[in-house]
Amino acid sequence: MEYLSNDKILVVDLAKGDVEEEELSEELVAERIGGAGVNARLYKEYADDDPIVLGVGLLTGSMYPASAASVLTAKSPVTGKLCHCPVTLKVGIEIKYAGFDYIVIKGRSDKPVYLWIHDGVADIADAADVWGKDVWETTDAWRKGVGDDLLQTMVIGPAGEKGLDCAQVCYNYWTGPDRFGIGKLFGQRNLKGMAFRGMGLLEAAEPEDFVDEAFELLEAVKGNAFMSKKGLGPICAALGEADAEEWLSPVVHRHSADYFTPYATNTFAFIDEDPAAVTETAKPEPGVLISDIPALLAFKKLGLSALDAAKAMQACARQGVDPMAAATAGEKGGKTSIDDILSQVAATTEPAAMEGNGVFSPWCPRKPIFGDFGASDTDAWWERRQAVAAIFGIQPVFAVMCPQLTEESMISLSNIGGELELDQETLDTVIGDIAG
Amino acid sequence: MENRPFIGPSLGIYTGTGASHSWLWFVDLFEKAGFFDLTFLDEIDVRRGGLDGLDGFATAGGDTFALAEALGPRGAEQLARFVENGGIYLGSCAGAYLPMRSSKIPLDQFNFVDVRITNLTSALPTPQRMAGKFCTAYGCRFVFHPVRETVTLVIDGKSPAAGSLIDAPLYGGPGMIAAGDAQVLANYQGFTDKTLFLTDRRLAEKTLIGTAAAVRQEKGRGVFYLFGPHFEHPRYPEANRFLLDAIKEEMDRKPVGTEKPTFWRRNARPSKAGKALVRDVKRELSNARIVAAGLEMLPLQWRIGEKIYEPTKIRVFLDSLWRRIRPLEKADHVHFTPGCDAKMLRLALEITETIRTMKHRIDENLDATPQAKELFHRLQGLSKAFLQLYFDTRAAEAMSDFASFTPIPGELN
Repeated sequence: MEYLSNDKILVVDLAKGDVEEEELSEELVAERIGGAGVNARLYKEYADDDPIVLGVGLLTGSMYPASAASVLTAKSPVTGKLCHCPVTLKVGIEIKYAGFDYIVIKGRSDKPVYLWIHDGVADIADAADVWGKDVWETTDAWRKGVGDDLLQTMVIGPAGEKGLDCAQVCYNYWTGPDRFGIGKLFGQRNLKGMAFRGMGLLEAAEPEDFVDEAFELLEAVKGNAFMSKKGLGPICAALGEADAEEWLSPVVHRHSADYFTPYATNTFAFIDEDPAAVTETAKPEPGVLISDIPALLAFKKLGLSALDAAKAMQACARQGVDPMAAATAGEKGGKTSIDDILSQVAATTEPAAMEGNGVFSPWCPRKPIFGDFGASDTDAWWERRQAVAAIFGIQPVFAVMCPQLTEESMISLSNIGGELELDQETLDTVIGDIAG
Repeated sequence: MENRPFIGPSLGIYTGTGASHSWLWFVDLFEKAGFFDLTFLDEIDVRRGGLDGLDGFATAGGDTFALAEALGPRGAEQLARFVENGGIYLGSCAGAYLPMRSSKIPLDQFNFVDVRITNLTSALPTPQRMAGKFCTAYGCRFVFHPVRETVTLVIDGKSPAAGSLIDAPLYGGPGMIAAGDAQVLANYQGFTDKTLFLTDRRLAEKTLIGTAAAVRQEKGRGVFYLFGPHFEHPRYPEANRFLLDAIKEEMDRKPVGTEKPTFWRRNARPSKAGKALVRDVKRELSNARIVAAGLEMLPLQWRIGEKIYEPTKIRVFLDSLWRRIRPLEKADHVHFTPGCDAKMLRLALEITETIRTMKHRIDENLDATPQAKELFHRLQGLSKAFLQLYFDTRAAEAMSDFASFTPIPGELN
C-alpha cells in the first residue's frame, strides 16, 4: 500500500522478544479499508495468540478534518467481545508518523517491557524501572530517557499491572476511551505501554486533488454554528446537561483539540492553581485534561464540585483507572466526599457498566452533539458512526458532532489519496463485520 | 578503464578535523551526478597517502586553521604530491583559503596558489549582525565576512559561458585577487535580495565586487580550483553545473586511467551482516534525530574552535545519512570494508547517548558545549564511515549491473 500508509504491519512476539515486519497489501486495504476493519482481520489471523492489535485509520494523520484517531482492538475482559477502543489526543497520529500502520502484539513477556516505536524501528525495551510507577511518572521517565518532550505514550498504571478489569490504557498523562479493560490485557502481558515518535511523511496519490477536496470539506465544517464554541462545557449543554457548563466553568483553564480536529474536545481544569492567573505557572503541565464527558457527569451526580471532580479524574489518570468505573464504585459505595472518592480510586476493581453493544466505547456520548444527523434509531446510528470513525481514523466525539463528515466523503478522499476504488458496499460489509 | 560502467571519477572528500557540515553538499552533488566512486578521508587518511589513486579531492568549509593544523606538514606534502601528479583539488570556502599563500603558521605549509584575499583587514568594521560569524583572527589582522547567503557571479575567461551570471551562496569564503599563473574563472558581480549584509553595503561592494570568486591554477600535472562561494550547495544548480563541468574538463584532459575503482581497492565486500548493521544504525539515527528536532526549538549555540554551531547543524548530518538508509534497505547486499561495522555502530550509539546527555544538561540549564564538541566529532566520524559504506554499495551495484563486470571473489561473510 503505497499511499496514506507506511506499508508496514509489525508483529511483536513478547514471549520471544522479537519483532517481524510484513507489508500491508493493497488487497487487504481494498477489502478491509483500514483501522478497526484491518485490525479485526489481523486479530482473526493471530486469534490463537489472542493478540492486542493497534491500527491506524486509512485517513489518520491526513488533511481530512478530525483524522486524529487510531484504534486498539482486543478481546475485552469486560465484555468478552472483540472491542475497538479509539486512540486519541496526539497519540493516534503519532503511530502513523512513527512508521507503522498496524501492530499485532502477541505473547507475554517474562519481564516488564514497553514498545518504543520510532521512525519505522520497533524496539522491545526494558520497563523494570517504571513497573509499579503511575502513568505520569512513567510518561515522564520515558520522555526524559528518550530526550524528547513530545514523545507520545500509551501507558498503564498500577491498576493495569494488578490486572484489574477497571484498568485503562491512558494516553500520555490522561484517561481516555478505554472502558474495555485493555489496560488489564497490557498488564497481563507485562507490557507497561508503548511510546511513539516519528518524523515520517504521508504521501497522497493525487495530492492536489486530495488537499482541494479536504479543504472544501473543512470550509463546510467551519460553517457550523458550534464552531464558535470550545471545550466540554458546550458539549455538556448540547447533551441536555446545561447546568454542567456553569458547574465546570470555575476550573476551566484552557481547551485543546486532537490533531486537525476543528473543535476542541478536551478541556483542561486547574485544580491547585488559579485558572484565571495570567502569570506563567511554574508547573510544566498544569491542570488536568478531561475528555471523558460521561465520567465527568457521573462525578457531578455524586455531588462533587467541578474542582473535586477534576481531582478525581487526575487520580484516575495517575492510577490508570477508568474514571467511569471509579465514579460507579463511588456511587455503589455511597461515597460523596472527595477524600472518600480519592481513596476509592486506587481500590476500584470493577469495570463500569457497558452501554451499547460493547464493541465501541461509550466514552463518546451516545447521541448527536450539536449537529442533526437525521437519525431515527440513535443507538444504531451511534454504533455505525463509531464504526466508520474507527475504520477511517476520525476523532470519535467530533464524528458525532459534524454531519458534514459523511461516509461518502471519507470514501472519496480515501480513493483520491490512496489510489483505491473503495465503495459504499465495501464499507457496509466492513461495518457489518466489526460492529457486532 | 575500458568497459567500465559509469560510476564517475574517483573522488575524495575531506571529512576530518576542521571540516564543518558543508562537505555533505559535495556528497549530494556528486551523487546527483552519478559519481559513486567516492572516498571519504580524514586528516589521518590524507597523511597516510589516502589521496593516491584519486582523480580529485574536495575540501569544503570549516575552520581553515584547524584544518591546516590537523593535516600538518605531512598532509601538505601529500596534497602537493597529489596535485603535481595530476590530481584535481576542489576547495570551497575554508577549502579555498587552505592552499593560498600565507606566512602564518600552520597555513604556511600550504603555499600552493598565487592569490591574495580582499576580505582581510587590520581595522575591523563593526558587524551589523551575526557577530559570531563575522570574522576570524589572522595574526594581528582579521579575515572578515561582509555578506552571507546568495551572491551573483559573472563567468570570466574564454569559455562559451563567459559573461553569463550565476548565483551561489557565500558563507565566509574569500574574495580573491589572482596573481602569477592563477586564472580567474568567475568574479563577484553583485548582490541579490537574499544577500545578508554583515557590514554596510558600500564596504561589502568594495571588498567583493569585481574580485575573483573562482580561481584555477595548474601545478605540475594537476590543478587547484578555489571557490569562494559554495558552488557545491544543493540549491544552486547553475553553480553545481559549473563545478561539474570543471571536473569533466579536467578529466577529459587526463590520460585514460587503469586504476580499479577505489571501493575495490578498499576491499569492500558484500556482507550478510550488512542488513543488520543498517538496521542498527537506522535505530540510532532515529533516536538522535528525535532529540535533535527538539533542540531546534531552543535558542542554542555552541562555539567549537572558531566556528559557531546551532542545533540545526546536527540534523544536517543525521538527515544526510537518514535519507540514504532506504536505498541500503532495498539493496541486495551491503558492501563494507571488514572491521568498519563495529566502529560505525559504536559511533551511532555514542551519538544517541551524547545528544541525550546534552538534552538533560540543557533542561537543567547547564552548559552543553563539551558534549556538543564530542557530538559533532562523532557525527563527522559516523558520516564518513556510513557514507563510505553507502557509496561502496552503490558503486558495487552499478558494477554488478554491468554485463562484463566480474564480481569480487569471496563469499558473503
